[in-house]
Amino acid sequence: MSKTYTYSFLALALTLVLCFFVNISLGSVSIPLKAVFNSLLNSNVEQQSWQHIILNYRLPKAITAIIVGSGLGISGLLMQTLFRNPLAGPFVLGISSGASLGVALVILGSGVFGGVLASLFVSKWGIVIAASLGSFLVLLAVLMVSIRVRDTMAILIIGLMFASITAAIVSVLSYFGSAEQLQQYVFWGFGSLGNLSWSDLTIFLIIYVLGILASLCSIKSLNTLLLGENYAKSLGLNIKKSRLIIIIATSLLAGTITAFTGPIAFIGLAIPHLTRQIFNTSNHKILLPAVFLLGGIVMLVCDSIAQLPNSDYTLPINAITALIGAPVVIWLLVRKRGMVF
Amino acid sequence: MSLLLQKKYVSSILFFVLIGFFSCKKEKESTTEAFVAKEVKLKYAKGFSIKDLGMYKTLEIKSPWPNAETTFKYVLANYGDDRQADNTISLPIKKIVVTSTTHLPALELLGVEQTLVGFPGTKYISSEKIRPRVDSGTIRELGKNEGINTEVLLELNPDLVVGFGIDGNNRSLDLIERAGIPVIFNGDWVEESPLAKAEWIKFFGVLFNKEKEADSIFNRIETEYLNAKKLAKNVKNRPTILSGAMHNDIWYLPNGTSTEAQLLRDANTDYLWNDSKGTGSLQLNFESVFMKAQDADIWLSPSNYSSLEKLKNASAHNAEFKAFKNKNIYTTNNTTGATGGVLYFELGMSRPDLVLKDLIKICHPELLTDYNLFFFKPLE
Repeated sequence: MSKTYTYSFLALALTLVLCFFVNISLGSVSIPLKAVFNSLLNSNVEQQSWQHIILNYRLPKAITAIIVGSGLGISGLLMQTLFRNPLAGPFVLGISSGASLGVALVILGSGVFGGVLASLFVSKWGIVIAASLGSFLVLLAVLMVSIRVRDTMAILIIGLMFASITAAIVSVLSYFGSAEQLQQYVFWGFGSLGNLSWSDLTIFLIIYVLGILASLCSIKSLNTLLLGENYAKSLGLNIKKSRLIIIIATSLLAGTITAFTGPIAFIGLAIPHLTRQIFNTSNHKILLPAVFLLGGIVMLVCDSIAQLPNSDYTLPINAITALIGAPVVIWLLVRKRGMVF
Repeated sequence: MSLLLQKKYVSSILFFVLIGFFSCKKEKESTTEAFVAKEVKLKYAKGFSIKDLGMYKTLEIKSPWPNAETTFKYVLANYGDDRQADNTISLPIKKIVVTSTTHLPALELLGVEQTLVGFPGTKYISSEKIRPRVDSGTIRELGKNEGINTEVLLELNPDLVVGFGIDGNNRSLDLIERAGIPVIFNGDWVEESPLAKAEWIKFFGVLFNKEKEADSIFNRIETEYLNAKKLAKNVKNRPTILSGAMHNDIWYLPNGTSTEAQLLRDANTDYLWNDSKGTGSLQLNFESVFMKAQDADIWLSPSNYSSLEKLKNASAHNAEFKAFKNKNIYTTNNTTGATGGVLYFELGMSRPDLVLKDLIKICHPELLTDYNLFFFKPLE
């Protein structure tokens, strides 16, 4: 790692820490900085409710933001390299549509199918399990196809087709769903970072770490894949095996994140591009940790904006990510007159 | 021949005399009645008006949906069965289709529920009088309000469809109107006070030539409401109230100008967002709701969560409120009809007196000791 990268990483890491604290200290309720730190250090705080807000609302939310930003960014990076397509993202493979289908079946389908689905809906983990199952099943279907079809572009298109099918089923279910069920489904679609308790977060974190480990294992094959599949093969890379690991890593990351927080737009597609613009490299040894840091930073900033500090209102996180993020990427691409890919 | 001529002569004279007589009478009638056009008195409702012109009545719907700029004017006449021009409706209505469960109580209170022939979403109907007619197939299912099954509706050929719109765009209702079936938009839900909403029973009263009945039913409801309000007025202890619930990161709760807030004011309670203004519900951040309402005495209508467990499952933060710890949460969601329709959604708008009494009973248990909660139940 050259010196320039070291400085960039240091700067990014510091920014992440700074954003983390800014995110925790900003919110609808203005809490003095001293109270924020006292809450974190678990010492006496003037108001009990401040401590609850800091420890049980803002802190899990900030951690969730880092997980979501980094996880979606990394899965986007993996997909873009695997498919050698700058438009690929965790959502393109049908992962998020699979999750949406699972959630739609549980929320909207409980009226249509009753029985088991309805009881799943009642349970606390209903939506998370359904979303994970949905994304896993769609991914499994894509994987089965990928064993038969050698062309990665074809897999990309098949992923898109799966997304269309699931969208169609979701609209049929929406038509028959009641107003309250529809409302609930729409709310899920807004995305949410602040709804996880510490115990939820623990499980979330475990799956996330597994996904990160799987992607770290794929760094070498990712760099080789950049040279093209045939060349990678000639270098002795087991394409099928690496493809499987990469897809599993993506589904672990994107699937769980979508399950826990709802579909978060933009991040998965844009963070890798943003990172490449800043670091000007396609080496995954650099890109992967950089995407991790930048994803976390962007998500924390988006969340701080969505909370509209010092006002009683809040905006859906999903709207902010695209609204704030997309123009930044457009500006960067126009300024640099092209993308690094 | 002369006899024949004579007969013809006499009959034509008679004919002209008769014509003259009737036309004169008609003219005279219409001129006098134009002067005595009476406007039916409405005490609270602003969204519609009825004028009685003797031979016919006019019905104006001024706000069929929020911020509507068009006023709909209908001529209601006792012409019998032959259908007149587009905006003329023959009275009384013998076959009606309504599109919202909130329209049903008026039909039932006026005793004309047998005229209902179709409804979109019959499973939401809870009324004990109307339910058996759905089950026996007398009332046909029309699908969904936004996509009414036009074929079934045309086959039913009702005299009138009472629709409602959120912005005037409802293609299926347009189609029905083009087919010659009159559609009137009911704007009861746009009204700004509980009693104004209830007063829309007079809208149904005029359709069925039952203005007097509608009037006395409304007066009864109004008296009950005002008496209950008076009863609560002298109470010194005003419990603090939290309302609504969080979906994802956003807490939805009624603003201070909503009818829900007015009911809470009339029940002499301290609704914590009483001072907020605006249309639609408030959408607040968890933090601000928590800071303000963590010690609220009572939590009302936590959205559609039907048990304490579900409320806690939806967000662990919900369990941190004092009202949750004390199990002081009341919902209308668990009072349902035979097929699961929430009774409050159907009847609540027509019977604000019952809603107010429920709130008084919950917030001031020492009052209305003989009264049993009608819509609300404690969340278990």
